[in-house]
Amino acid sequence: MSPLAYFARVMWAFIRREMAAVGGYRAAFFIRVLGVVVAVGSMVFLARFVGAAVNPHLATYGGNYLGFMVLGLLAAEFQQVGVSGLASRIRTSQMMGTLEAEIATPAPPWMVLGAPPMYEFGVAALRSAAYLVGATLVLGLDLGHANWLSVVLAVPLVIAAFSGLGLLAAGTTMLVRRLNPVAMVIGSLSFFLSGVLYPVSVLPGWLRAVGALLPLTHALAVLRGALLVGSGPVALAHSFMALLVFAGVLAPVGFGVFAFALRRARIDGSLSHY
Amino acid sequence: MSAAPAVVAEGLSKVFHPPAGLGEMLRGRFFGTPLEALSHVSFQVAAGEIVCVMGPNGAGKSTLVRILGGLLLPSSGTARVAGTDVATGGSAFRRRVAFVVGDERSFHFRVSGRTNLHYFAALHGLPADEARRRAAALLDRVGLGEAADRRYREYSRGMRQRLALARGLLADPEVLLLDEPTLGLDPRGARDMRAFLRDEVIRKSHRTAIVCSNDPSEARALADRVLFLEGGKLHATAPPDRIEQELGL
Repeated sequence: MSPLAYFARVMWAFIRREMAAVGGYRAAFFIRVLGVVVAVGSMVFLARFVGAAVNPHLATYGGNYLGFMVLGLLAAEFQQVGVSGLASRIRTSQMMGTLEAEIATPAPPWMVLGAPPMYEFGVAALRSAAYLVGATLVLGLDLGHANWLSVVLAVPLVIAAFSGLGLLAAGTTMLVRRLNPVAMVIGSLSFFLSGVLYPVSVLPGWLRAVGALLPLTHALAVLRGALLVGSGPVALAHSFMALLVFAGVLAPVGFGVFAFALRRARIDGSLSHY
Repeated sequence: MSAAPAVVAEGLSKVFHPPAGLGEMLRGRFFGTPLEALSHVSFQVAAGEIVCVMGPNGAGKSTLVRILGGLLLPSSGTARVAGTDVATGGSAFRRRVAFVVGDERSFHFRVSGRTNLHYFAALHGLPADEARRRAAALLDRVGLGEAADRRYREYSRGMRQRLALARGLLADPEVLLLDEPTLGLDPRGARDMRAFLRDEVIRKSHRTAIVCSNDPSEARALADRVLFLEGGKLHATAPPDRIEQELGL
């Protein structure tokens, strides 16, 4: 059996288990739906409030604050899933005691630990699609000029960069046995310096330079350029190159740190406790 | 019983280096006082043999079975289980050797016993159809057929132990490593579980088993031989009828 077929089996069983568990989380499910409603309400309010003022900083994005904000929040959520998904699952599994039992099976550790973040990415993608469709149908978001080739090229790079950060965060969490320090630092910095809710052009030059060191900044530049303005891969080459570098560096470094942390866990016995 | 040993441990030692407290870190130390959990432990287990590892709390029993299960790396020494070095054994090793932990936290509480087993069957690489068949057969075999679709959190302690055993048998392993398999069971439940383990799970399938326990009656009911650990050292090896003398009871 190929590793891919093996992983597909694990993934399918994981999804079935998560679906079965949803029945036990009815309150959490409704709270999540309520969260979506509140988020959409906030978007409407912010889009009207901010969008009413003519802002020269939004000219690059076709003056469309609604689209700017929706894409900013969706990309930030994707980063959150990537950076925190694996680390929080590992922490939960260690505390619940399931990690050791799962690692004791013949499935390689990357399969055991890869299924939860893949699932989270899938759920985030579905949620993002729902937000985009909702914003288009209800709020009048115009994606008619989108360049889908740029989007298709960008998504794997963005996921690779965020997953690299996620592996780094998970490895660090396992090593320091504390809350995810990488996610806290990257999440806070990205929210303020990557231009989630406002264009980075409003920031002073030195803060823009710091923001350029964060993958979310370039992910947002590509996604907004492609979806709101219809820019092609050539026009977005600078941001594509930056994402390529982030993916090429963060994925192997994250994998190395995570493999080291897993080996440390086998040495210090922390697979079964946190 | 075959002459080839199923388990060979040579000079196994394990030293834990706990993280330093704040006071120690301020003095420039990153680790606390080292804790020697196992010290130069050597023994062999023949194929088809049932060996019980006994000793007081903190003697190193759980550390030993975790090393033999490949979940913990020894600080020094080597161990081979089912012909494979435990430190480097991969998927094939984990198919042949099952670590059955009695820790009731090791399942997902919000789904049924059956769904839990299906998930672990997938981790064993079983196709969905076979996973369903195998899980159903094992649930029946451990007496959980009727409770299979109840949520795990509703299971009693004994049911959780039996589910853990069913999980350990998913891959039909050659060697079973059992850490306190009857911990917390009432006397009748423990007696039934031991009889089931010995007759149905181990003897009938010609498996080799290492069982960690603090309970002399468990060792007498299950073991061909008993290893006594104390302070991380192998203190003695004896037949089950000498347990009281060796433990000073």
